[in-house]
Amino acid sequence: MRFAALVVGVLLLAPAAPAQDSLSDLEDPAARTRVTVLDNGLTVLTLEDSSTPTASFQVWVKAGSRDETRFTGIAHLFEHMMFKGTRNLGPEDYTRYVEARGGRLNAFTSRDVTVYFEDVPGEALPLVIDLEAERFANLVVDEPLLESEREVVLEERRMRTEDNPQGRAFEALLALSFTAHPYRWPVIGWRSDVEAVDVAACREFFAHYYGPNNLVVVVAGDFDTEETLARIRRSFGKLEPSQSTPRNPTREPEQRGERRGTVHFDVRAPIVATAWHAPPTGHPDGPALDVLSVILSSGRSSRLYRRLVNDEQAALSASGGYWELLDSGIFYGMVGVRPDATVDRAEELFFEEIERTRQEPVSEAELDKAKRGIEVDLVSRLRTNHQLASRVGRDWVSFGRVRPLEERISSIRAVSVEDVRRVARQYLKPEGRSVIRVVPPAPEPAAEEDA
Amino acid sequence: MRARWTVLLLPVLLGCGVLGGPRPAWEEPAPPPREGTIVPAERLHRSLLDNGVQVLVLEDHRLPRVSMGLVVPRGSASLPLADAGLAAFTGELLNRGAGERDALAFAQAVDSLGGSVTAAGDWDSTGVYASGLSRDFEELSELLADVVLRPRFEPEELERLRAQQLASFERAKDDPRTLASWNLGEALFPGHPFGLPRTGTPQTVARFDDEDVRRAHAALFVPAGAIFYATGDVGVEAVRARAEALFGGWRGEDPEAESSTLPGPPRSRQVVIVDRPELGQATVLVGGAGISRAAPDRVAVSLMNVVLGGGGFSSRIMSRVREDEGLAYYAYSGFAKRRQGGYFMAATGTRVPEAGRAIDMLLDEIDRATREPLTAEEIAHARSLAVGRFSLGLETSDAIVDGLVDLDVYALPPDSLDTYRTRVARLSDDEVRQAAIDHLDSERVAIVVVGPAEQLEPQLERFGPVRVVEP
Repeated sequence: MRFAALVVGVLLLAPAAPAQDSLSDLEDPAARTRVTVLDNGLTVLTLEDSSTPTASFQVWVKAGSRDETRFTGIAHLFEHMMFKGTRNLGPEDYTRYVEARGGRLNAFTSRDVTVYFEDVPGEALPLVIDLEAERFANLVVDEPLLESEREVVLEERRMRTEDNPQGRAFEALLALSFTAHPYRWPVIGWRSDVEAVDVAACREFFAHYYGPNNLVVVVAGDFDTEETLARIRRSFGKLEPSQSTPRNPTREPEQRGERRGTVHFDVRAPIVATAWHAPPTGHPDGPALDVLSVILSSGRSSRLYRRLVNDEQAALSASGGYWELLDSGIFYGMVGVRPDATVDRAEELFFEEIERTRQEPVSEAELDKAKRGIEVDLVSRLRTNHQLASRVGRDWVSFGRVRPLEERISSIRAVSVEDVRRVARQYLKPEGRSVIRVVPPAPEPAAEEDA
Repeated sequence: MRARWTVLLLPVLLGCGVLGGPRPAWEEPAPPPREGTIVPAERLHRSLLDNGVQVLVLEDHRLPRVSMGLVVPRGSASLPLADAGLAAFTGELLNRGAGERDALAFAQAVDSLGGSVTAAGDWDSTGVYASGLSRDFEELSELLADVVLRPRFEPEELERLRAQQLASFERAKDDPRTLASWNLGEALFPGHPFGLPRTGTPQTVARFDDEDVRRAHAALFVPAGAIFYATGDVGVEAVRARAEALFGGWRGEDPEAESSTLPGPPRSRQVVIVDRPELGQATVLVGGAGISRAAPDRVAVSLMNVVLGGGGFSSRIMSRVREDEGLAYYAYSGFAKRRQGGYFMAATGTRVPEAGRAIDMLLDEIDRATREPLTAEEIAHARSLAVGRFSLGLETSDAIVDGLVDLDVYALPPDSLDTYRTRVARLSDDEVRQAAIDHLDSERVAIVVVGPAEQLEPQLERFGPVRVVEP
């Protein structure tokens, strides 16, 4: 991401679902999404809604760090380069034009996608469309610009990962859990790769993944659909499709046995991070894993908070959740160990709580509570154009369609106590986990005195 | 001033095509922002209970949800220095049992509604906030009122919280930005509550007892000046009746607010290094005198700050530190505005060997804003950015209500949201320029840097006397 949180993991609850009959009448605004495909393969999703005088414009690029080959981090570095100017615009002019209208803009890169978005007052939408098309048509990438932005990205890497205990934990965890699949490397890339990315590689990345046939444009908010589509046709319609969009073929082999690793870092509160392999997004077990996540982690009555933070006072924070990705998923655990507790004890308690979900059925009350939590969360996510556009975009790149609210509702409603136990048993096996501890280095042995 | 496309040597053109036809929108004059009121008068209702509690309802029936809160205009700054951290501690303890329910039962009641009920505070206000489905309005508001009026403050929970809070102080030292802001506060406000973290210190937290939290609760939560609001799929009459039922009988004396004199900014530059030998990035804060939330020239100051460092890539600090020099991922400036006063701060994070150079740039930009008047173009840009950002920030009813409550907390005119755009338009360019002259001083600042002292000290000595502290 250019200037906020790099999306590295905690997207645990994808748009989730109501579970009460009174909510069944709720109109799903996303149901009005109109799909247009231009001749060059560009998919445009429009969702006109004039209830607030704002609009969200998003371009979803179906490329993320999983598509990198020679240089890890190039998808993210390239995202930064998209702001550095075009044949007709200077570096960051793009940003300044949008900011001048009070717009919010940003971009993020994940393992699966790269997303550019602008949230603007409705009258600024034509500006945003033209600016966005301009950089897809006429982007300039040269040595001086790349050099300067490389340094910016390395500072981002220092801040988020190298100097950050959670960042260290997460980076090491994914590298341990995935041995083969591209999900093993960090979105921001390994330092040595970021230092080495060259202009030619950027150019190649653009040619493969930034053609209109690999993009989904989403517009939600206050605008006239016909006018907006006409403008998009005029600007985006001229882009030439990519000739090929290669994908890495590697699949993760089955994990056969627990893996462990340690990261030494100057921390006062150690971290225990755990990952299990879980199914990819859209899998029928997804809803049960979402429910399990809420039971473990959501709210002060959740199991991990009660046991680790409150009752045993072994941790300052503890969570576990399902993180769905296109090729596979992760069920992760993150425990912030209390400086006055032991790492062993915190870890033991965490695994006891996981094991309990595998051995004993959760209570009906917990199940209902989790479903309700997901339902309220879903309703809350219908509030802004940005939220709507994000849901529509994510669904489209994942499934090639917008999943109706009703579908999410019924899938969550259908989860039973037995489903929760089944997915816990199936996916959260001790022999399938990877565990990282971030702890201070052991003290240097005292200098040898005379014996 | 900055690299434009004319300096792009050996450009590699990617993609294809040039936009044909009509001129691109960025070459056209910007259409005027849409007029219209921000606060929809027909959906906003204000009333008063007999005990002085204000009731504010903003109806919005688009989604079956509700947000509500009971907010009092008293916070951490309302308590004396000796009580540093007590308001925050009491606020957190409010979340751990109220009315008939102990901590666990309360959490279960809230979580079973899929909603939230949370006490939270700031320097100038404290509130209990709830949200969830509108059909749970009765239950959520009941839980909220329990927290406000009937906290249990159980000794066992108090001890548990104390231990957690003490552990949190340790963990916070793992975060360079927290360390930097603690030390900046200490450097700018010695002897004043603003000089200590809002959560207090290990020394103050160690001695809080049952009597302290009850005293703090009684001092913070009184009906005078309190506001109860609800927004969402609720009816005005239902909310008013509920407010009367829950808070109509609430009594309490408005305590004499204590306030100690706010120290002035440092007389000359001083440097604090917080030694974290392992870090590769130096976290830099430059802080100086600020303004209060209700300062008459606050809009001029905020426009000036958009140009200086609050306007993202449009700002001088970001352009220079990130775009021109590639020194940092983030670089910005801002004014923290509280009732009694506030402070100015510029911030960045850069690789350790460049820390001195980055500080040079921040200081130079602060100084330049007073030396080289802001241009008409920069000010016009700032106006446009501020107005657009303002409107966009009020997209939801929740955000509008938050804005209205904030005005109330600071006793600012209740129509301020609707007049904001006019006030921005009416300010003269010179008023914005004057704000820089009046409020920026690159000499009277504290510079706080978190990182390896051994490498930082030689770079920073030239800025002023250096003090190295342990985290």
